[in-house]
Amino acid sequence: MISKKLAIEVLNCALSTGADYAEIFYEDSHTVSVALENGKVETSSSNSLNGVGLRLLKENQCIYGYTNDLTRKGLLALADSLNKSFSGKQIVFVDHLDKVKAKDRNKIKQDYDSIPLEEKVALLKEADDAIAALNDPRIIRRICRMNLWHRGVAVFNSKSLWFKRDTQFAHSAVGAIATDGKGFQQGYEGVGCQDDLSFYKTEAGSLVIAAKKAANTALALLSAAECPAGKMPVVIGNGFGGVLFHESCGHPLEASAVSKGLSFYKPEQIGTLVASPLVSAVDDSTIPYEWGSIDIDDEGVPGEKRILIKNGKLQDFMIDDLSGRRMNRKGNGACRRQNYRYVPTSRMSNTYICAGKSTPEEIIKATKLGLYAVSFGGGQVDPSTGEFNFGCSEAYIIRDGKVCEMVKGATLIGKGFEILKNIDMVGNDLRLAVGFCGASSGRVYTSVGQPTLRVSECTVGGRGGELK
Amino acid sequence: MGKYDKFFASAKAAGIKEIELYIGESHGIDISIFHGEIDNYSDNNGMTIVARGIFENAKCGSASCDTWNKEKADYLIREIVNNAKVIENEDPVFIFKGSEKYHKVNTFNKDLEKVSIETKIAKLKELETAIKAEDPRVSEVGTSSYSESFQKTTILNSNGLNLVQKSNYFYYAAEVVATENGQSKSGFDLFFDSDFSKFDVKALAKKCAEEATSQLGCVSCPAKKYKAVLSQDSVNSLISVYISHTDAEQVQKKSSLFIGQVGKQIASKKLTVEDKPLAKNAFARWFDDEGVATYNKSIIKNGVLQTYLYNLTTAAKDGVTTTGNAQGAGSKKSTGPFFLSVKPGKKSLDELFAKVGNGVYITGVTGLHSGMNPQSGDFSLQASGFEIKDGKKGKPFDLITVSGNLLDVFKDIVDVGNDVKVSPSGISTPSISIKKLGVSGQ
Repeated sequence: MISKKLAIEVLNCALSTGADYAEIFYEDSHTVSVALENGKVETSSSNSLNGVGLRLLKENQCIYGYTNDLTRKGLLALADSLNKSFSGKQIVFVDHLDKVKAKDRNKIKQDYDSIPLEEKVALLKEADDAIAALNDPRIIRRICRMNLWHRGVAVFNSKSLWFKRDTQFAHSAVGAIATDGKGFQQGYEGVGCQDDLSFYKTEAGSLVIAAKKAANTALALLSAAECPAGKMPVVIGNGFGGVLFHESCGHPLEASAVSKGLSFYKPEQIGTLVASPLVSAVDDSTIPYEWGSIDIDDEGVPGEKRILIKNGKLQDFMIDDLSGRRMNRKGNGACRRQNYRYVPTSRMSNTYICAGKSTPEEIIKATKLGLYAVSFGGGQVDPSTGEFNFGCSEAYIIRDGKVCEMVKGATLIGKGFEILKNIDMVGNDLRLAVGFCGASSGRVYTSVGQPTLRVSECTVGGRGGELK
Repeated sequence: MGKYDKFFASAKAAGIKEIELYIGESHGIDISIFHGEIDNYSDNNGMTIVARGIFENAKCGSASCDTWNKEKADYLIREIVNNAKVIENEDPVFIFKGSEKYHKVNTFNKDLEKVSIETKIAKLKELETAIKAEDPRVSEVGTSSYSESFQKTTILNSNGLNLVQKSNYFYYAAEVVATENGQSKSGFDLFFDSDFSKFDVKALAKKCAEEATSQLGCVSCPAKKYKAVLSQDSVNSLISVYISHTDAEQVQKKSSLFIGQVGKQIASKKLTVEDKPLAKNAFARWFDDEGVATYNKSIIKNGVLQTYLYNLTTAAKDGVTTTGNAQGAGSKKSTGPFFLSVKPGKKSLDELFAKVGNGVYITGVTGLHSGMNPQSGDFSLQASGFEIKDGKKGKPFDLITVSGNLLDVFKDIVDVGNDVKVSPSGISTPSISIKKLGVSGQ
């Protein structure tokens, strides 16, 4: 940790040539990663991250640097090197630092470090056993991994604010690779939390349930037909199905894109209809112990529930202070980064489409011929054009209101602003799911979510010819 | 060795029989501009120290950190021991003593540091201006950026190995949005090298603008199978996943598509793929991440698979010599090519179009992390492309997907082009034409 006295000295040195904002981001984090293959611990490794990122802003300019030399000399040398980008007089002075008041919603109840590594391995072995118990010779590899992070952060900035943020989170990926001698298929499930590890013993967090599901998906995919291609109605499953909103609309609602005119959403659209009136969506970093929650963002703004879209009308964006300068707005608690090596920017937290009124059964029943995309392997978007693509990891054909044969190799493509308008049924079964989101400020942990919903028409890519 | 002697002694006292440090020191500068003003300037110095050691139980544990002091040194030793204690994998582990001979390649261009930062910024501003001047349909230049990176990699271990390689490179890149009749398309391109004098602002500006403007006025593409030309970028995306199946570990774990295929025809006779770690470019690596001397090799020759790619552990399991392809700093190494090169053919891109007659030209594929099943090689990917009509490049397509299987794509090669593009990920590819590719669109 660095002292407040030293932080003030470094901030003033950084500000001495005319920057209008300076910020020290101190990080002392560590990670443990364990991987089992076919029931045996194959690798186990530990990582420590300890460094400082220093950010200077002047109007719309951002100057950033980081160092691992955490001595007074090292930090002042960094400040002195970065302040050379400006040549004016000091206009902002720091003589004290007040602690930011924010709710402690994700307080650490049980330090992961206090649990022996063997107990963490035991959790993975239970998951592995569940796959092995299927006793199916087509399963050739069982893979169960766990990553445990302890993230200690302290921020000091020239608004005379400082705070500490101590968080820990765990992520497990369990799955299997299966073969029928002709080809391979895989199934994976990710389970993560900020809570203590007893979460993995609950139904929602059960690695055993996740492992069985993943293995069964890999097996079922072996005999699945190729997905047909063309335009069709698509029912998207709840939970991880929300990655569609995250990619296709969430990223274009980040101020980093909006503020530069690089998103198809514009600030002047606030209050106008951008989606079907059935759609409301939020980005909420205040849900206790939810995977993407943060109590305070990297600029010292407490977590917020940001209403992005209400009844189809655009309400707000994810904003960081620097992007906000181009939009005449202040940051709204969305400024994040992977670690001290990344320049922070506006990012999502727990982003989801709100529950509607239909039951999932009603949605399926109302669909004559289409695709039921239960889950995705991931996707991406170009915020400027809205063009997105998603690969389905589990999908079925719907015929006459019934879920029928499984299909593999389905990809959804389209434009984000069109798909939101084409949502014609929204279910009542909202669920969140964990994920990682990569962008310019690195890989951050985010939750996605939605209820089951239907897009009246979407382009589906696949190798199975025309849907009949 | 000096600085780390005490650390090696403490490790030994803690029961670690052999130990290795993999030290990466880096310096990077990233500058981006937006509307003529510097938008972001980053100047970063970083260090990564990865330690791995073979404990009393013959298991290899690892730990890493980014600062070097007594506290972190103790942390590394403690964590190597803790991690080694839980490892159950029976594979042999090695801390390498060194190869007999290394063929050193220079990957550090000292002249890059001599170019002033002002010159580098001035070129960046010229780039943004030049892109806007290229075409009135360019509606926005997102960010234009300059990056340079210096990397020093050191491997030293308690068996006497001490290897150091320095490398540097720079790139200029820009994202461009072009708009016409309410339709927007984006484009991106970059120039990458370690020799600053090779950078041509106008040439990159033209390519960036064309990437976006050429897609305007797009038409829809009826879903069916087409004869296709795959651009250098598209081949690049597909070949890297294809070649990942030559990793000996995947073969040993029975999840490679190339099990039992060495010496057999796996692709068209037109396909030759090499790994050239000793090529004279920024990707050269004269020792791999276990400290083994690297060498140039054919992976696929005239469609016949020549070898799997090995590290010390997988080679020992197969009773062969490592191919010097270990990658990664931790206790367990993956393998992969350092500079993957697809051998070019004789025909120009226009000649490929002429021979196809009517078909599609795929200029890029995206979404590999979700649309590519790396295990089966099945893919269904968002793509950009053009129609090929009467032997010539025609109109651009709106949103399309291409689908197929990697094994089929490389079996179905008709011709390999003479045009070669090297990507920053260390892959050199020409355009290729193939018999058929599934395409569907809006």
